[in-house]
Amino acid sequence: MAARIWPLVKLATKVTIAGGAVYVACDSGLLGSSEQGSEALEKAKAAVPPALEEWMKYFGLEAQRPTMPRIEFSPVNSWNAGVRWTISSLSDAPTRVSEYTSQGLQYIKDLVK
Amino acid sequence: MSEKELGKKWDRCLADGITKLGTGLGLGIVFSVLFFKRRTWPITLFSGAGLGMAYSNCQNDLRSHYLLHRKKKQEQ
Repeated sequence: MAARIWPLVKLATKVTIAGGAVYVACDSGLLGSSEQGSEALEKAKAAVPPALEEWMKYFGLEAQRPTMPRIEFSPVNSWNAGVRWTISSLSDAPTRVSEYTSQGLQYIKDLVK
Repeated sequence: MSEKELGKKWDRCLADGITKLGTGLGLGIVFSVLFFKRRTWPITLFSGAGLGMAYSNCQNDLRSHYLLHRKKKQEQ
């Protein structure tokens, strides 16, 4: 009797765990719209440092936590600056090329004289 | 749509993509361990489904600006 019930119990336990995981994912808005997803991410970001601190204290690793270095780098600003530089160089290119060409020709004329 | 609004939509898309990929990965690992004898394909399937949901959300979000919504139509 027990041998017949045990596989059913195992299956029921697995289904409960999997179903619970899916329920938690749906209920917390992880599988919802974009706004719900970003809200869930913000909540997780806010919850991670205090939880990490608590675990560090529990294991007595408080003094060993490395401080995150603050990096003042914005990829968006760098990209935009690069685009602006490229376009301004392209717009100045014809003028510069004609200037350098005339300077080069003048230099050669002077050499030939 | 202003550039600021567009930027915010893209930020939301990226955050949503990361969230759904992570959720899909997690659920895939759970199902793979519980039902499919730790095979890789459920993890890949669920992660892909999560990414697809994020793509669909992003697409709807970016298109919503150009659609006439029911509430506005009723106000008119």
